[in-house]
Amino acid sequence: MSAIKMRFTLKTLAVLWFVALFTGAVLAASFTASLDRDTFTLGEQATLSLKFDGVQPQDAPGLPNIAGLQFQYVGPSSSFSFINGQTSSSITYNYIVTAQHDGEFTIPGMRADISGQQLASAPLKLTVTKVDAPSAAAVNSGNEVAFLKFIFPKSKIYVGEPAVGRLELYLRDDVQNLSNFQLTSSPTDGFSAGKTAELQNQRRRVQVGNRVYTVIPLAMPLTAVRTGALTLGPFTASAVVVLPSQNQNGDPFFRQFFNQGEQQQVTLATDPFNVNSLPLPEQNRPANYTGAVGNFTMNATAGPTTVTVGDPITVRVQISGRGALDTVTLPPQDAWNNFKTFPPTTKQENSDQFGYQGTKTFEQIISPQNADVHELPELTFSFFNPDDGQYHTLTQAAVPLVVKAAGTSPMPTLAATKTATPENQTPQDILPIKENLGVLIPNNVPLVAQPVFLAAQAVPVLAFFAAFIWRKRTDNLANNPRLRRQRTVAQLVRDGVNDLKKFAAENKSDEFFALLFRLLQEQLGERLDCPATAITENVIDEHAILRRAPKALLDSLRELFQLCNQARYAPVRGAGELNSVAIKFEKATAELQEVKA
Amino acid sequence: MLVAANVFAAEVSADFSAANKLYAEGKFADAASAYEKILQSGAQSPALLFNDANAEFKAGHLGKAIAAYRRAAQLSPRDAELRANLAFVRNQMAGATVRERFWQNWLGTLTLNEGAMLTAVLFWLTAALLIARQIRPALVPKLKSVTRLLVVLTFFSGAVLAVQAANHFLSATAVVTADNVTARSGPFDDAQTVFTVRDGAELSVLDQRDGWVQVANGTGKSGWLPAKLVEVLPGA
Repeated sequence: MSAIKMRFTLKTLAVLWFVALFTGAVLAASFTASLDRDTFTLGEQATLSLKFDGVQPQDAPGLPNIAGLQFQYVGPSSSFSFINGQTSSSITYNYIVTAQHDGEFTIPGMRADISGQQLASAPLKLTVTKVDAPSAAAVNSGNEVAFLKFIFPKSKIYVGEPAVGRLELYLRDDVQNLSNFQLTSSPTDGFSAGKTAELQNQRRRVQVGNRVYTVIPLAMPLTAVRTGALTLGPFTASAVVVLPSQNQNGDPFFRQFFNQGEQQQVTLATDPFNVNSLPLPEQNRPANYTGAVGNFTMNATAGPTTVTVGDPITVRVQISGRGALDTVTLPPQDAWNNFKTFPPTTKQENSDQFGYQGTKTFEQIISPQNADVHELPELTFSFFNPDDGQYHTLTQAAVPLVVKAAGTSPMPTLAATKTATPENQTPQDILPIKENLGVLIPNNVPLVAQPVFLAAQAVPVLAFFAAFIWRKRTDNLANNPRLRRQRTVAQLVRDGVNDLKKFAAENKSDEFFALLFRLLQEQLGERLDCPATAITENVIDEHAILRRAPKALLDSLRELFQLCNQARYAPVRGAGELNSVAIKFEKATAELQEVKA
Repeated sequence: MLVAANVFAAEVSADFSAANKLYAEGKFADAASAYEKILQSGAQSPALLFNDANAEFKAGHLGKAIAAYRRAAQLSPRDAELRANLAFVRNQMAGATVRERFWQNWLGTLTLNEGAMLTAVLFWLTAALLIARQIRPALVPKLKSVTRLLVVLTFFSGAVLAVQAANHFLSATAVVTADNVTARSGPFDDAQTVFTVRDGAELSVLDQRDGWVQVANGTGKSGWLPAKLVEVLPGA
């Protein structure tokens, strides 16, 4: 087959393929809705599938709002088939359906407009049955794999009073595993409920009837927010438990290792619990009461206590105890008329996991407005204690203050500020502007990024190293008499050469040769490590060290010694001759210092 | 040069008084502009920034006020009035924001330059003592305890300075200066919206690019804000 024919055949097949696909898709377009089950108990869930055959919607279709039902989109699944030349494709959108209460529900027929095609699904019926708490007899029989109990510490509660309800999940001893535990319904109308959490390290085992159950306690923080007869629950939950497999086939020895158990979905429910929520009494209610319910103590501090008019004073008030700390607020202090006050900042430190016990700290900045202020008036805080049904007022004693007048630069009086905060109201504003510009600060690079500053830090380091080296050298010299003598003699010779030249210039022959002889003795004594007085011309030939010295040096030394000896008898020499001797000596000592001692 | 500096200081002082007058007359926006003009001339003082912040706050610009208070706090961190006003203005801000942690507040009680000077003085004193010990070994027993104390203080101060410098140079805060600013998933106008922030929100800066600033809002979300709608300050 030629290449042209082959290409033509492939093109024809491709066209046929798309035609078949298109015609198959158009011919089979349909839309169906289905539920994987039409009845389930409250707390369980069903799957709703919306299937489109032969068409491809752009997006998942929206679902109608149905009171009591909730839909959660899971995702799509699609399929495509090509059988005997017939193609079919479908896409299914899946939703999880959960119910908020029991009853009969109808999911109405839905319409979809896809590329001009009007598609509709049939309505669906769904029945959600109520779940009841098991009876005492059922519990005691040991037939219940798991059950739920709700315990509330009070049957009467004051509005605003916090309490911790306790949900107890009982699991029979043969339950191998528990998973997917979920509270499906927790009616707490009239209460504000916090986050339900397991009480750590409080699991226990109890005997119920003739079976042992593991109790898993869950705490449910609740605060009454409405008065009257209130009902907590029934709480419902669902979970998956794993029970030992009922399949007893096979070797019992291997079964104990490979028994994976059987999963079972359980639905749990508690009995409802009735609570009478009482209003807070009107009688004896303090004027500054702001709604705190609980049992509290108060501690307050203020500082600084010596200030100038307008200076800020920080007042720190700590309210500690048990109760709804979230709702505790600091009451306005009417006695603080002479102070400008600012909204307090708060910090809460809980000592329990529910926020019902701990300390709430208020930090408030106030500033005295005149120098007549001599104290921070007493601070009061009122709360209602549900334990004794009484209001209590805590009072912190007045704090003495020393307030000085603002002096020569009084705080500026601002018209706008005055308007905003009349004298008879608690002022709530920023502190006023500053009158003095102060010192202008150059907008420079920070010191740590300035090379000069960084380089300056090397100075003490270098100074320290210099001192360290000096100390080492000094110590070395102190511990080495030979070295010390070497340096002393070197200095002596340096000075001596100058003196020799001076004597030569003055033609003082006797002094010249006396000094020359002494210098020769000192230099040779140092080199040979023997006393200077013991040095004579003879050492040049006798001492082992000098035998290693160059012959010219030894000759020069001999000549110098001989000149010294001759000077005692010979007549006075001329200045030029003395000078040449001094130079010769200088050269000889320089060479001698090179000889290894 | 000294004469020129004196003339400049006198001019700044006169402008400052004029701006204060505008503020006292209740012309807060004008006062804020006047303070801003002085700042743009290169002059800078804690009082100038404080007053600018007050004027911005009174003019209803929460973010600009917070930014100015924070700049003032970097120059004069122990000013009680400044801290009181900053706390007050911050309380007016609603929505997500990132505040300094305790250790950052603690480090902030000294300016970076004060920290550098303190560390340098301790370092020089320590070096002087160590040099004295080399020059006069007889002093070693007498200087032993004070040398140890100074060495410990120098290392501590140096470590604090290092953290302070790292915080200053490696971290930055963006203060939002407009209301309901949209943070986007990328540095583009048509990028997806991630969250919105309110005027005065203080956010951690993660990156800066092409007129956009990437910020984190402290709740695990990050997004890009137009740079012209934020003021970026050094330090977290």
